[in-house]
Amino acid sequence: MNILLALIPISLLLLIVAIAAFFWAVRKDQFENLDAASIDILSDDSKPDTTPESVKDAD
Amino acid sequence: MPATDQCFHCDEMLNGADVKFILNGISRQFCCLGCAHAAQWIEQEGLGDYYQLRNQQASKVDEQNLDYSAWDRVEIQNTHCRNINGQTQIVLLTNGMHCAACAWLIQKALQKNPAVHSVNANAITGRIEILWNPIKSRLSVICTQLARLGYKPYLSINEEFEQQKRRERNRLLLKLGLAALVTTQTMMFSEALYFDTQGEMSLATRDFFRWLTFLLCSPVVFYSGSEFISGMLREIKHRQLGMDTLAASSILLAYFASLYQTLVGGQHIWFDAAAMFVFFLLSARVLERFARNKARAQVDLLARAQPQFAWRMNGVEREQCAISQLIVGDHIYLSPGDSIAADGVLLSEAIEVDESLLTGEAELKLKQKGDSLFAGCTLGPNAGSMQVSHIGSDTQLSHILRLVEKSQSNQPPEQVWAERLAGRFVLLMFAITGMAFAIWWQIDSDKAFSVALAVLVAACPCALSLAVPAAVSSAFDALARIGVVVLKPAALAKLLTLNQVVFDKTGTLTTGKPCLEKINTFNNCSEPEAQQIAYSLELGLKHPLAQAFQKQKLPSINFDNISNVPGHGISANLNQDHYLLGKAAFVAKEQPDQGIWLSKNGQLMAQFLLTDAIKQGAKQLLKTLQAQQFECHLLSGDSLDKVESVASTLAISQFQARATPEQKLLYLQQLQERGKRVLMVGDGINDAPVLAQADVSIAMGSGAYISQNNADILLLNSNPEQIQQVFSIARHMQHLMQQNLRWAIGYNLIAVGFALSGFIHPGYASLGMAGSSLLVTLNALRIYRIKS
Repeated sequence: MNILLALIPISLLLLIVAIAAFFWAVRKDQFENLDAASIDILSDDSKPDTTPESVKDAD
Repeated sequence: MPATDQCFHCDEMLNGADVKFILNGISRQFCCLGCAHAAQWIEQEGLGDYYQLRNQQASKVDEQNLDYSAWDRVEIQNTHCRNINGQTQIVLLTNGMHCAACAWLIQKALQKNPAVHSVNANAITGRIEILWNPIKSRLSVICTQLARLGYKPYLSINEEFEQQKRRERNRLLLKLGLAALVTTQTMMFSEALYFDTQGEMSLATRDFFRWLTFLLCSPVVFYSGSEFISGMLREIKHRQLGMDTLAASSILLAYFASLYQTLVGGQHIWFDAAAMFVFFLLSARVLERFARNKARAQVDLLARAQPQFAWRMNGVEREQCAISQLIVGDHIYLSPGDSIAADGVLLSEAIEVDESLLTGEAELKLKQKGDSLFAGCTLGPNAGSMQVSHIGSDTQLSHILRLVEKSQSNQPPEQVWAERLAGRFVLLMFAITGMAFAIWWQIDSDKAFSVALAVLVAACPCALSLAVPAAVSSAFDALARIGVVVLKPAALAKLLTLNQVVFDKTGTLTTGKPCLEKINTFNNCSEPEAQQIAYSLELGLKHPLAQAFQKQKLPSINFDNISNVPGHGISANLNQDHYLLGKAAFVAKEQPDQGIWLSKNGQLMAQFLLTDAIKQGAKQLLKTLQAQQFECHLLSGDSLDKVESVASTLAISQFQARATPEQKLLYLQQLQERGKRVLMVGDGINDAPVLAQADVSIAMGSGAYISQNNADILLLNSNPEQIQQVFSIARHMQHLMQQNLRWAIGYNLIAVGFALSGFIHPGYASLGMAGSSLLVTLNALRIYRIKS
């Protein structure tokens, strides 16, 4: 039963880490925008980046 | 993918417009140059995926040149921007963002600008947070980019309120997250106690585990559960017992009883049960609240986003100032197409004003020198100046807004009834729990408390309280996916009790924009010639009638001396010939006052007959409604002949023309007095009181924000055909809700029965409660399958 003395503190420690991570994520606005992220992966981002000129042109 | 006769970008009907561009090697059609440029730009930037990812149409891009240079002013920078490490941050609102693909597009597109450091666009709240380097780019450049994509930016007025709402949301998320993580751990440690069925565990180990679960349970009860505890205190203070009282008392009872048992070394503890109550009840609450916020957020924001600037006359010079800086007596300059900032008196010569926001009439009104002008109205094609007479909350617009708010604050009778019933239910449950305790005290005093707690837990209407919100929120979500926003949760259920539908005409059943119906020509003038002349004369004018001629692109003729006579028409010269285009009184006095006339040197050339086209799908909607035994009515502020023609096309037998807002209200009240239950479908601000009076109201997304805020249901795509889908989803929702309620009540009755008999441990009672809650939630999700 002595193993409990090691396992219980470890489980509590992990719990505290998990809670801290969750609180950090909420405070850092990680849950702000859950919709756009889900389709980000669907887009191909492989095209060469030629932005600076075209942005200036557009204005 | 849009059909062949729809715009590739915004899905609007082409209506004869012929703008073609080649995108990615395929020729696409557009309704206007604005949309074509937006699509070209999107494709050019390699963001063409947007068209595959989106699930809702984009907004039509305004072709008018967009000038945001005023946003670079110091006042804006001071009040709306924040400085973060040399970068500037601003929160903008927009009305065109309907789905995640829009948010994705905005983020990608703005990030292409090298000055922009980060962008966070949220489709749910309609907010765009931009962090950029003010040295490299001005705010107006970013805003123009946004507007070119079809997302018109607005400045957020009430940033403080926004922050507060966000903090509250985060607080609720933190509470739920903590409850979820800690409750699982509490249950793990409790397992150790449950598995000790033979009582072989040493007392020291048992107590160690009990204190451990106590330690973990405490933050769940007092931090996560504070939602219910403060709710109970509020209910007790107002002497109106409800769900919160029942929930919080079973949580606290389980917690403190367990603490007592731990201290005296009793038989049972229920810390895990207490933590589970908190977690399950909180999940239900968070789900319901998020669904509601999602529905309201966008409309709430836009209602507050109103015009920001006015041009104040300083002697002969014009200076731009914030509306809040205007004072009574100021002279302001009004530029064509702008909305008027305050109530006032016209100082300049005659101008035309679009008062549709206040009166609902689409036609421009002629205002003479000395006439009053109202805030919120839009100026026609001529510039003018006015003296401010009322500002801020004294304006006519604010007055109407207050009336609307007042009519909203009355609580519906169903809600009062439901609250009273909940109060009685709670008292009854407490009485039954007390009785169970008393009876079991006689039979077996050792078990009495355990049984009483099990009864209280079993009675806890967790599934019952979830039954309705689960069905409602999944229905909301199903509707939101097709562009329908439900603003008042009760509206969907009420929809099924209705038997009358009252329609507004302009902007609801018709497009609200005049289009060319027929051209009559005289004196050897050909139709294309007349059309080309009219097109060239009206080109670039913001007058709604002028837009009817601009739908079809033609080669334009360069006229000289084009002058716009407010309220009458246009005169111009070409090669010594004098042309007049306008009303009969202006062009040819002897002709009937119908349509627009064109003359050359006093000789008649053509008559253009204009009509307000009926929206696609309106006919189908009316047919379906009438087949379902709905009585349909048409109320409009428009003239009799126009209303009559629309009514006969759509086979509506009951209609009223030239109806003022008061008359519309009276008409509705008379219907209701005869015991009818009425659905009102409208769009303008003049409909706002009528929308509030109706049993259920549906507003068009293209209408005034004020009436949107007052409506129960909002059709973002302004497509009346969707009303049928709303009805069908409402019907399914009602069905699922009844199923859920039957199951939840059945579960509660059976569980209370078992708990009374003493067979159930409180922990198992809460397990059953969780199971039934899950079942109810899953059942509600079936709405997506029914829809497809």
